[in-house]
Formats: sequence, C-alpha cells, structure tokens
Amino acid sequence: MADVIDVPILSRGRVIMPSEGDSVLFGGRANESVFRGPDPRNHIDDLLLGSARKLADLQKIPIDEIIDLLAELGPRLSRHTNPYMGRAFELALQVGGLTETVLADVYDQLPNMFNRRKLDQTIDKNVGKAYLDGWVEKGAPGRSRIRVRAVGTRQLHITAGNVPVVAASTVIRAALTKSDCLIKSPSNDPLTANAIVRTLIELAPDHPVTRHLAVAYWKGGDDIVEQQVLRPTRIDKITAWGGMASMQHIQKHLVPGLDLIALNPKFSISILGKEALESEAAMLEAAGGLAMNVGHLNQTACASTRIAYVECGTDDASIARLIAFGEMVYDQIQALPANLSTPARVPDRELQAELDAIESEDDFYWLKADTIAGGVIVSRYKGKVDFSDHLNNRIVNLVPVADLEDVLDFCGDHTQSVPVYPESLRAELRDTLAISGVQRVLPMAPYRGENWWDDVQAHTGLPHDGIEPDRRMVRWVTDESVASS
Amino acid sequence: MAISLRPENPGAWAQHEFADLFAVDRQEREALQLEAVKLRFANLRDKVPALRKLADKQGIERIDTLDDVLVIAFDHRVLKNYPLAILEERDFPKLTAWLDKLTAHDLSRVDLSGVQTVDQWIDRLEQYGLIIGTSSGTTGKLSFVARSREELPAWRSAWLLMNYASSGIDPRTTKLPSFSPSYRSGHQMALKTAKLFVYDVHGGPQNHHTLYDAHMSADLLALSGKMQAAEEKGDVARLGLDPVLVEQRRQMIETARHRDRDVQAWFEKLIHEFKGQQVRIGGLSAELFKVAKAGAEKGYKCEFAPGSIVTTGGGMKKYKDAPDNWQEIIAAFFGVEKLSSVYGFSESIGHCPMCSHGYYHFLPYTVAMVLDADGQALPREGVQTGRMAIFDLLAESYWGAFISGDEVTMHFDEDCGCGWRGPRIGTAIRRYAEMEGGDDKITCSGSAKAYDEFMDFVMGDG
Repeated sequence: MADVIDVPILSRGRVIMPSEGDSVLFGGRANESVFRGPDPRNHIDDLLLGSARKLADLQKIPIDEIIDLLAELGPRLSRHTNPYMGRAFELALQVGGLTETVLADVYDQLPNMFNRRKLDQTIDKNVGKAYLDGWVEKGAPGRSRIRVRAVGTRQLHITAGNVPVVAASTVIRAALTKSDCLIKSPSNDPLTANAIVRTLIELAPDHPVTRHLAVAYWKGGDDIVEQQVLRPTRIDKITAWGGMASMQHIQKHLVPGLDLIALNPKFSISILGKEALESEAAMLEAAGGLAMNVGHLNQTACASTRIAYVECGTDDASIARLIAFGEMVYDQIQALPANLSTPARVPDRELQAELDAIESEDDFYWLKADTIAGGVIVSRYKGKVDFSDHLNNRIVNLVPVADLEDVLDFCGDHTQSVPVYPESLRAELRDTLAISGVQRVLPMAPYRGENWWDDVQAHTGLPHDGIEPDRRMVRWVTDESVASS
Repeated sequence: MAISLRPENPGAWAQHEFADLFAVDRQEREALQLEAVKLRFANLRDKVPALRKLADKQGIERIDTLDDVLVIAFDHRVLKNYPLAILEERDFPKLTAWLDKLTAHDLSRVDLSGVQTVDQWIDRLEQYGLIIGTSSGTTGKLSFVARSREELPAWRSAWLLMNYASSGIDPRTTKLPSFSPSYRSGHQMALKTAKLFVYDVHGGPQNHHTLYDAHMSADLLALSGKMQAAEEKGDVARLGLDPVLVEQRRQMIETARHRDRDVQAWFEKLIHEFKGQQVRIGGLSAELFKVAKAGAEKGYKCEFAPGSIVTTGGGMKKYKDAPDNWQEIIAAFFGVEKLSSVYGFSESIGHCPMCSHGYYHFLPYTVAMVLDADGQALPREGVQTGRMAIFDLLAESYWGAFISGDEVTMHFDEDCGCGWRGPRIGTAIRRYAEMEGGDDKITCSGSAKAYDEFMDFVMGDG
C-alpha cells in the first residue's frame, strides 16, 4: 500500500488529528496515497457551529480587519515556503487531474488571490462593506424609515477539486461574508483547503474568522454525517459544486430553510463566425484564441471549450477550409505554454476508444487528435460527435453550422462560457446568448503573455455561473422604524 | 475429437449437439478456432471496407495467434459511429453508405426510392438479403448489426442449441406455448430473433404470446434520445417529425405508464388458461420478480406442467431492494426448479448458456478473449477479469471480431463441475459505461448529461 497521510479535521481553530479508535481511511485507488482522518461521525459537534447566535462575534469585526487578516495570510500560502501548501500541491498533483507545470502555476497564483486591493474591491462591489459592518440607511420613502444590513450565515461548502483555486476562494468568500463555514473537501484535492485554514490557525488562532472555519472530509452521501449536518437548524446555506456522486444524497435533506447555491457542472462552447475562415491571418488569430480556450487548465475547467461551432458550409471546399483551420488549432494547442496547458499525463481510454471508432469514418469526420497530445475533430456532416460530453484532454470538436442562430438551441443553463470570434459577432450575439442561458460571453483572445492570470483575476467579483454567490451567501435583513425616529 | 469440425465452415459446427461441442478438447478447439479465424480474415479483409481500413492502418496482413485479432477488432462503438444527424435528417443514402462499410455485401445497389423511415429502410435492406438487428446499448444511440441470409442457417442452429442447453428442453422436438411480456415484432435484436425463429422454437406465432401485439418502431428507438431532449424543452414540434411518429411515442409512453398492471393482468390470464400445460416464459428479471411478488401476495399459484421453462435476463439493478433470493422467489412462483439463463449480446450470434454450476460457457464457434485496461489480451489461463471480447465465427458476411462494453471474470481453465468444457464466465458482469463516476471526485466542468442528472437530483427526480 502507498503511504498513509494523516488529514486532520480543522474545527474552529482546533486541529483534530486521527487517533487509534478514531480514524477512517479514504482515497487510495491505484498508486494513490491513502488518507487517514478522524472519523467525522465522532465529530459532528466539531463540524457544526450550533446556534446562529454564535455568529455575533464575527459580525462585530470590521470588514477591513478581516481583509487585513486575509491579506496577511496570502503571502504565507506559497507552496515553496509553507510545508502544508507544499504537501497539498504534491497530493493534488497525485490525485487531481492537472499536470505538474499547470498545477504549479495555479498554486503560485493562490497568494495573489488574497491581495488586499482585490479583496477590498470584490466585497465592496458584491455586497458592500458598509452593509456588512452595520445598518445602511435607505431613506424614508413613506411613513417608515428603512435600513438594510448583510448578515453572515452558517454555510456548508461542498467544494470542487479540479482546480485548487476553489479552496482558496471558498475561504475568502466565507470570511468576507462574515460567515461560519464548514468545508467538505473533495477527494481529488483533499488538502488545499486544509492547508490554507491550518496556516490561518497558526497565524491567528483566536481570530473570529479562524474560529468560524472548519474543514473535514467525509464520503459524500454518508447519511450519518449528512443527516446530522444538513438541517436548517444547523446550516443556512449550502454551496454545492458539480459532481453528482458526492451530492446525490443531499437532495433528500433539502427542506425549506436550507438554501442551495448550486454551482452545477458546466459545459462551455465557442462560436466562430465566417470571418474566422476568410484569411490566413484571421484563421491564425482565431485558432490561437480557440486553442487557448480549449487548452487552458488542460480543459478541466467549467470554462473550457469542448465544442466550437463555426459558420461554414458542408460542401467540399468549405470543409477543406475548416480542416485547414483544424490543423492550425491543433498546432496552436501544441504551442500553448507549459504553465497553462500541457499534454495529458495518461491517456483517457474510453475517449481514445471513441476516437478510434470514428477514425474509420472519414466520410463524416476528420481527426487529428489523441488523448495525450489533444487535438481536433472536424465534423464533416451536421452535428457534433455523440461523445461530446466526454471531450477531454484538450480535444475540441469543430462543428460546421450554416446559421449561427442554430447554436442557440444548444445553449442552456449548462453553457457557462462562450468565447466568440470576431468581436463584431460577439456584440451581435451577446443578447440572444444571454437569453438562451449562457452566463459569460467573451472575446476569443489568444494567449497574450504573462498578464494572463491578471486577466483571470480581474474576473473576481463578477457574477459566477449566472448568480452573485457572495450576495446569496449573506442574509439581507431590513430594519424599519417609524419615519420620525 | 468425437465429432468432425472443419475450420472452413464454422457455421456447420452449430449443427452438432451442444454436449458434443462442449466436449471438444481445448487444444484441438483452439487450433481449430485459430485456423477458422485466419481463413475468415483472409476472406473478409478486403471485402468489408471498415475492416480493410483498420487492417491497413494496423498493417495486418495475416493472423498468427488469436490475440492478433484484437488490434483489428471492432469496438462496440463502431456499429454506431454514424452522425446522429443522418437519422434526424432521414438521409438514407448516407446511412446506407455507412452500413455498406460494415458488410461484405454491396449495398450500393439497394433501391432506396421512397424510403422515409428507419423501419422502411431496414425492410428494404432485408428484401435485398440483409438481416438487420438493432441494439441500443447504454448510450441510447442505435447500433445496427448487419447480418444477412448467409448467417441465417447457423444462426438458427445456434439459437436452438442455446435454448436447449440453457433449459434442458429441446425446441426441435418440443414446441411449447411461450410468453414474453414484450412486443410482437420489431428490429431490436431480441424481437427480431424471436420472430425469425418463431416456428423453430415455438411452433408458430399462434403459440407465441406477447403482451402487446404491436410492432416496436425502430424510428422511435433511433430518435428517442433526441425526442426526449426536445420534449424537455417543450420543443418536440420544432423537430419537424412525422406526426405519426410523435403519436406513436405518446402511445408508447402512455402504455409504459400502466405496464406493471398490464403485465400482471396478462400473466394472471395465462396462469389460469395454461394451467396444467408445459410452457416457456421469458422476460426481464425485475419484471418477472414483480409478477411473482404480486401474484404470491394475491395468493395465486402457478400450476404449469413439469418441464416448464422460465428464462430471465437483465439483472435486478433497476429494482430497488431486491431480496438476495429473487431467483428462488421467481422459480417458486412459476413452479419451476430453476431459472434458465443466457449471456450474450446483440452483436454476437452465439450466446452462452448457463450451466448447472451457474457459469456461462462459450461454445467453440464463439472465441472468447479478455482484455486488460490497455486493451491488451490477458493470458488465456486461470481466472482473468477484464473487458470481454469475442470472435464470432458464425459471422460470415461481416467482421466477427468485437470488443464489448462488458467487464467479465473469465475462467479459462476447463475445470467446471458441470462437466462442460470451454471458457466460462461468472454472473458478476458489469457495464463499463455504468461504472464511470461515483468516485467522489468533484469538478466544476461537466457534461450536458451530468448536468441533466444534476437537475434531476435537485428537482427530486434523481
């Protein structure tokens, strides 16, 4: 068996290590580490805050003080100097889906997520610092005088592990909304949230923010744990990221009073107008942009393009042009910098079998792809490949469409991001895309060098998946009095 | 060897008695199988376009060992690798051109004039000489298995043999009134086979009782996924489908709503009418279990004559909280000693009857192989768990090397207590497609399918 790694439960400033008679093992599939944690069933009380009244201490802390604390925490989260983060990185590399250079880059961005200016702007824009610190006067429209305040809640976050950014943003969101937060770690990133909160415990063990963070792993669907945790008397808000397996059982616990913030699994597409095929220069530009949207984070993210609809005929000349474009996209995917995208570590057998099965069908498909290098499938006939749901490892399906309006039929709440080429088309389509369910419309920008992460960071504070999670996570309370008082 | 089998004509092997076929010595059988595979490859290599293409790509000109076949075996996906849009658009020339690559018959000469539905298309191909069976597998997309009249004699023999071996009743001499809670006809492989051999097994259609007297539309099966998706959006009208098809679908859904009740009423009538007679009952395990449970609760008792047969398949996966002894409960209710059972898939002519010790045994005309996760052949010895692959020697006009979606545990050593030889598999059979996920790894990227499941679950339907 591989080595056993102890993962403590972190409970509001306390570190609870597994011990004889109080331990469960998890993980440990083929060549992966085995984790040992305290048995969560023995620690229900440690996971939960209890009465909502216990949130009072956190509400009294000015938001600026919380921002100060987070800003102090950020620089300590370097995987190079913080052994907890170093370990979390190694394990995410082992059990997660990203390759080393890409994951390293993601981890190296984590400290910067705690940048004081960004935190300040984000929370002020999303909720409003004044609302978190006190009652904000809303005037006296009639015979009442009205005030509004945003109050923290008791939250459970069932986090995603495909990108460790989620662990960091969960801690940030909980703290900035002055909320109590129980984080259920995913098995594909068991340690990042743990490492961040543990670092915080060492930095400020008695700070109310620290005193309102708990991190634990239990197997999703563990009825004994979930029955105890998922009660409206104990939890106000559940933020649940994708992943059917871990959440299937939550449903039966959902009752009025438990607010589910569902960050569903997403499936993103790209749209390219006929301009993309009109000149060599345009083809190259569009191919670079598409490759970026397919390849970044090795196509593991919700924003990753898996299908690209191209305004193009299905006659031989048009398809030949589309294939030439496909060649360019292939080359551009291969040329992506290693910190953003690399070939896969291991092949995807099921997907490879799908590719093999259509390879013989050259009347219908053109293929330059394998599940290590990634690549391109061009549909010669109408429609995407049947296994588009499984497209992974940087493989994109280029689908010709005569009328781009038809693409709207394929969009829905599952369509998160839609890069569009060229810009004029984006402006033209954005309203209908938005109405059809798409949550984010963006330019098909190629990799622009070192400022790429800054672009991503600029998105913090924007709506996510069509909602504003920070605003959902607080309780909006009104206080009314007679106008004269 | 007590019987004479020639590699040139494996179809004739199925004319033998199963006991003799199961008695063939392993070494002789494997040598014979290898020779037959070599001949079949030499014969079909350049006649089946999809095989030629794959063999060219892999650089295979000849077969030296059984495992050599694996690199040129068709994955189960190959039988449905047409774009779904072809069916949606009813582009039958394209669909025919696609199928043409999977058979040695020349389909370019099929007259497609006037063909507007999948059912009509299959009928037209069958007039031409093919026999098309469909299979919907786990993905909802229809596979087309292109057999032909060339396979028919061996197919018939193998079907009768399998029936006899699994039930102990020889259909060649004993034609039993038979019951299956299904449709009267259809192109789906099980319905097709039942209809093709209705005289051979049942003594004629008047002796074969089905729950519904209707035809199961291949068009509905082919477009069900699409229609389901459209209906969820409230958009069926926009698909521009034949109103007849939409109406058929509506009826099918309506029928399915009271299926449990219909099945029970139907069986109750049969139980009464055929009391004292020897009968053959077939059906999905879960359905027969429901009938048995409901019947027993009402105090019904089946009093069929000894030698009656109950054949089940499909497992109990969809039936929640099935008791461990569900087989005994079914057998006890229908008054038979044991259930007859068979393992096979639509893509293979030969099926594996279950022996008295609970294993499915392979007959010599189906070469059994097991693959590891990398698609490499596992050694043909001892007990091996992996992906099931076969070479179907009864496939004469199409390529019989086939990689399934099933995980099986194969016993290559011929030491089964039942006395039959031949490799055998246990009853623990899983579909790879159903094993995906469920590992507690959470990601924000998802498929449309995962999304739909998610919404089902959120809405309380999951």
